[in-house]
Amino acid sequence: MRKVLSIAGLITLIIGATTGCATGGSTTTSGSIFDGTVLQPPEPKPEFVLTDTQGQPFDFQAETEGKLTLLYFGYTYCPDICPVQLAQLAAVMDRLPDVERNSVVVFVTVDPDRDTPQVIRSFLDKFNTKFVGLTGTIEQVEAAQRAAGVPVAVKIGDGADYSMGHASQVIAFAPDGLAYTQYPYGTRQTQWVHDLPLILGRA
Amino acid sequence: MKLWCAALNKPWSWHWIAYPGVWLTVLLPTIIYLVAVRRHGDTDRKAIWTFLAAMVIFWASSDWPVGTLGAGYLASVHMLEYVFYTLAVAPLMLLGTPEWMARRVLARLHLARVHEWLSQRLFMSGLIFNIVLVATHSPIGVDTLRSSQLGSFAMDMSWLASGIILWMPILTPIREQRTHPFAAKMVYLFVSAGIVPIVPASFLTFASYPLYSTYELAPRVGSLTAVQDQQLAGITMKLGMAPVIWITLAVMFFRWAAQERAR
Repeated sequence: MRKVLSIAGLITLIIGATTGCATGGSTTTSGSIFDGTVLQPPEPKPEFVLTDTQGQPFDFQAETEGKLTLLYFGYTYCPDICPVQLAQLAAVMDRLPDVERNSVVVFVTVDPDRDTPQVIRSFLDKFNTKFVGLTGTIEQVEAAQRAAGVPVAVKIGDGADYSMGHASQVIAFAPDGLAYTQYPYGTRQTQWVHDLPLILGRA
Repeated sequence: MKLWCAALNKPWSWHWIAYPGVWLTVLLPTIIYLVAVRRHGDTDRKAIWTFLAAMVIFWASSDWPVGTLGAGYLASVHMLEYVFYTLAVAPLMLLGTPEWMARRVLARLHLARVHEWLSQRLFMSGLIFNIVLVATHSPIGVDTLRSSQLGSFAMDMSWLASGIILWMPILTPIREQRTHPFAAKMVYLFVSAGIVPIVPASFLTFASYPLYSTYELAPRVGSLTAVQDQQLAGITMKLGMAPVIWITLAVMFFRWAAQERAR
């Protein structure tokens, strides 16, 4: 009997040890309440005006005022990072309808030559039809990246199949207009779900 | 050069990838088997075809595209691989191994006593099978092992070994080790491979979020989301194992009945 109990205990220990890491905790190892990368000091929302997928001007600060805003610079031909980041955001928004109602996800292309408003719209609609897509001239999108404090994207390769080296993080602006955190590629859904309601609470 | 399928961290493509390590792992035992059978002579053709079928399934489950998809893109394919390894390759290998060959292999590898010990202890065989199942389907196990070729190879080999351990008390080629009564073997198989795996399968099916970062952060293949893929993996574990288990139980039941009638 003792043998059976010890074996049962061992199995419980293994299951506990191996499944326990699957969910995000309420505090992080860095001591922050957020699971994302903390920005110290918090960064203000950048000012830029670009064109949305309807062809209308989109004043980033004015249109997102008072909302949780998730800003991401990418391009629709991106083979790996952009689709994963957007799929993660779409999955999390599905899980958190209250957050989705009070937030806006803004995707700014870093490849305006290929990413026309129609191309951006059809790309974003694969993830979430409410995601906002922005484009502009190459100078305008570069200025937007500088304003947001991310490295300006660079073209890699020649010909039609070129790729873009670009920042992979999503910057999260709280409703008070400040970014307390950003989320690099590799952020898990559990981390998003942990942080977004907290950021939304920073009104 | 890639030897074994591991997570690639790049978008999935239908461009063929060569895995010489997989070919070697499949070809080496096949060649050794065929040479040994030829030298020995007088081996049942059915056993030879059964062993070759095991090797074909082993190759198809380990090589591109199934191996590649399972190692780094889809949890559901990872699970399909597991089902093939443990419920097809392992029992077919045991069924296709003639008794004289099994004795020779066990003696050469100094595994005769281990084999005897495991064949006689249903509880321990079932326990080892399920410990490997839980460890290799835990988030930390999958994410750690699938990130490297060596880890991925270790995971696949542990599946094969655990499958052989599971089936050994039932299908061992060594005649004198087949000592368990039919009822005990049926209960053993039903509990070890039919009931206990439902627990980890349920974790996968009913989890709200993806458990494995390997598959969550992989570029998507098709229209399945990471959670849907994980649910499919859970269902594959739960339902994919059922036909093999139930067919085996039915065969064992009829053999038992026939044995009783003959008395």
